[in-house]
Amino acid sequence: MTTFRPKFSPSRRTLLKGTGAMFAGLTLLPRFSLAEEEKKLNLYNWDTYIGETTLADFTAATGVEAKMDLFADNDELFAKLKGGNPGYDVIVPTNDMLERMIKANMVMPLDHAKIPNMANIDKPFQDAAFDPGRKHSIPYMWGTLGVGYRKSKVEGGVVDSWKILLDSDKYAGRLSLLGDAQNVIGVALKYLGHSFNSVDAAELKKAEDLLIAQKKYVKVFADDNGQDLLASGEVDVCQEWNGDIIQVMAEDEDIAYAVPTEGSLVWQDTMAIPTGAPHPENAHAFLNFVLDAKAGAHIADTIKYATANAGAKAIMDKSYTENTSIFPPAEIVAKCEPGLYLGEEATKVRDEIWTRVQAA
Amino acid sequence: MDNWKDNRSVFWTLAGPGTFWLLVFFILPLGFLFVMSFSDKAIINGEVSITEYDYLTGISNYIRSVDTLYLTIIWKSIWVSALATVLCLLTAYPIAFGICFASEKWKPLLLLLVVLPFWINLLIRTYALIAVFRSQGYVNLALGAVGLGPYDMLYNNFAVIFGLVYVYMPFMVLPLYATIERLDKSYLEASLDLGASQFTTFLKVTIPLTMPGIITGVILVFIPCLGSFLTPDLLGGANAIMIGNVIERQFKAANDWPFGAALSFMLMYATFAALMLRAFLAKRSAGVDV
Amino acid sequence: MAEQMKPGSGPLDYGNRLWLKILFGVIFFMLYVPIITLVAFSFNTDRRGIVWRGFTFDNYVKAWNNSSLIEAMINSLMIAFIATLIATVLGAMVALMLWRFRFPFKGAYEAFMGLPIVIPEICMGVALLLFFNETGMMTAVVAMPWPLNLSNIIIAHVAFCFPFVAIVVRSRLVGFNRQLEEASKDLGASEWQTFWKVIVPFMMPGLVAGALLAFTLSLDDFVITFFTSGPETVTFPVKVYSLVRRGVSPEINAASTVLIVITVVATVLAMKLQAPQKSGKG
Repeated sequence: MTTFRPKFSPSRRTLLKGTGAMFAGLTLLPRFSLAEEEKKLNLYNWDTYIGETTLADFTAATGVEAKMDLFADNDELFAKLKGGNPGYDVIVPTNDMLERMIKANMVMPLDHAKIPNMANIDKPFQDAAFDPGRKHSIPYMWGTLGVGYRKSKVEGGVVDSWKILLDSDKYAGRLSLLGDAQNVIGVALKYLGHSFNSVDAAELKKAEDLLIAQKKYVKVFADDNGQDLLASGEVDVCQEWNGDIIQVMAEDEDIAYAVPTEGSLVWQDTMAIPTGAPHPENAHAFLNFVLDAKAGAHIADTIKYATANAGAKAIMDKSYTENTSIFPPAEIVAKCEPGLYLGEEATKVRDEIWTRVQAA
Repeated sequence: MDNWKDNRSVFWTLAGPGTFWLLVFFILPLGFLFVMSFSDKAIINGEVSITEYDYLTGISNYIRSVDTLYLTIIWKSIWVSALATVLCLLTAYPIAFGICFASEKWKPLLLLLVVLPFWINLLIRTYALIAVFRSQGYVNLALGAVGLGPYDMLYNNFAVIFGLVYVYMPFMVLPLYATIERLDKSYLEASLDLGASQFTTFLKVTIPLTMPGIITGVILVFIPCLGSFLTPDLLGGANAIMIGNVIERQFKAANDWPFGAALSFMLMYATFAALMLRAFLAKRSAGVDV
Repeated sequence: MAEQMKPGSGPLDYGNRLWLKILFGVIFFMLYVPIITLVAFSFNTDRRGIVWRGFTFDNYVKAWNNSSLIEAMINSLMIAFIATLIATVLGAMVALMLWRFRFPFKGAYEAFMGLPIVIPEICMGVALLLFFNETGMMTAVVAMPWPLNLSNIIIAHVAFCFPFVAIVVRSRLVGFNRQLEEASKDLGASEWQTFWKVIVPFMMPGLVAGALLAFTLSLDDFVITFFTSGPETVTFPVKVYSLVRRGVSPEINAASTVLIVITVVATVLAMKLQAPQKSGKG
């Protein structure tokens, strides 16, 4: 079995030798490493996050049969791949998760020679702090975290501060926050004037106190359905991702989205090839295909997120490229910070804070 | 009851496959997890590793798990689950009883009707519940029509308990059905003939005779409730956290498998304690053999 | 009492009691309102499924054309069917063994059998993920042709289903009068004949209840399946989970409705096929 999993640490190996031997019979079916890859590709993606015909177009262009499986959040993606890759070729992690996966050797370095369309990448995205030299990833979409609200229910009809969500009882029982430690604690820090990625114990304590005090006015910590709560009138103000709110804005004119003036998070989803991918050649071909101007334009046109593909942007409609909900003004983006991978210790600290907030 | 030595071949044929399956595909994997609970993330080059572990380093995870924070959450999970179990029993008993006393023609149909909702995915069912109970849901629309409400029925502990009852109902109905079905009806007749009222008969004859089914049902409902995380996640409000949510987070967002493993084993120990307590109480009140 | 005036309604004829009928009505109403909403909304034109906008069959067409959704449904039914079969046999055997024999450390053995029920699903999911990865079974099995690539999931489902079957069957067996068995043997039946003609018919309600429970558990399991599935072995709950986190689409409602119809038809057929045998034995 060691032939399959060369990355085993010695301690692990001794622990598992016995069981491994037991199943040696079952494992004598190695994947054939033929010179020519079989014409298959497994994409592991978020839901509604690809062009309607992209996979079919890719098959038409390359003859590779593409299949897509979905994950609900980055943590799920990570948990699924942590123990070993069950057969995915391309994954779509967000920047901080990608950073973690690079550190854990869970993604393969890219062969840039096989992705000529990398020339299409928009200037600001050609390099990235979380992946220097874009060695492991290509940028896919980007966006912000902000406040979705119902104009008719909010005083003045405009929201410009996190105060409404984090430090006010005015809309008691009509508020929802996201359901994960990173983003809720991050914006609390931001509201208090600190960095989204702070690891300072005193600053984190202040953020924790703020959240515990505010909690009694919060109706629910919603995982990824704040936009539904808003659309169905369950809450009037919610913390959400721009793309999610844009979707419900199209159906309900009373809903609006804002990035508070204190600043927020700017995120970037990337595409990468996980270690152990069975079809790395096809994976490279797919990354190249996604960065193609026409294919990229089709994707952006379907999912309405901000693309990092300059070639695609150039051939797209003004209704998309000049939409400020999709591409926020530069001065707002300037106030936002990218989320960083802070290390396992900091993750643990934030998780404990989050448990205390929820149990308070 | 026969001694196993009397008929070894039958004994081993019956015991073998199940025991093997459980040992290899359950106990062994669980052993991995048990080892994990006594391990820590490896420190490589001064940094805590993301995927590697140092095995069998000590009980630090258990020490962390007896923090008041986690004990409070475990305690809360216990009472929420207990309440849900009691409500489940109160609803399921009449259903099972009714099915058993229905005519032969209706029995399979009624049984099917009880189980049917559970062939719909738990998440879809929970979302359907949300559609019914939310502020602008059908219940509130109906109440609104008669000039009441709207009431906030979702995102609180009531919603979680209701959701749990809704989700785990068949685990209570099926064992109850199996026991009541084999209840010797002549005992009930005898009791009634001897002048006991319907109520007394139910209390003194039916319930004691169906106790094994009740206990099975209670165990089958209480324990999954204790570890549930999707229901509190979807139906609960800002206070809804249960120990299942904390465990789930350790395996996903927090990426702290050793601690998650330790918390899981803590939860199992709590369950064992409850089961042992039950066995002990049953022994003490050994007057009625059930 | 008014009920006693009616012919055939004795003091034990609870099935005809009005209060029980009302109670049934209320409970079934509670159980079915969400389901009916779900089915109704599978015909809704509104994409988000929040308000009613009009009648359509489009969602069924869309679900039908969604090959990955269909594939997930077939996988789920396949897994549930095989896992239920194995789990029912294994569970019944263990129940018989526990009921019939006395052996050392029986209490401990029973606790051991109860473990899969006691353990939180997520722990079992992660434990199995660790196990399948470390033994190489994950890579080996996932690469096999369908339906063999479902083996890991089936193995996992059997492991958590059969103790449930054992519990249900055993609580049925407790009421068995062993004199019947002796009588059968006295009348010249072999051990095997006694088993098939006396014990199995008596076990039947327990077996049916146990199998239904196992089928339900397997078909609905998300957590354990999530950790043991690969890109080629997605099941319906796993698929649904990834789809509904951003709200339920009517397409999913349509697919669920189809799944209900399929399982109901299959169960009714199974019950019909089994019915003549049953009455023959009675």
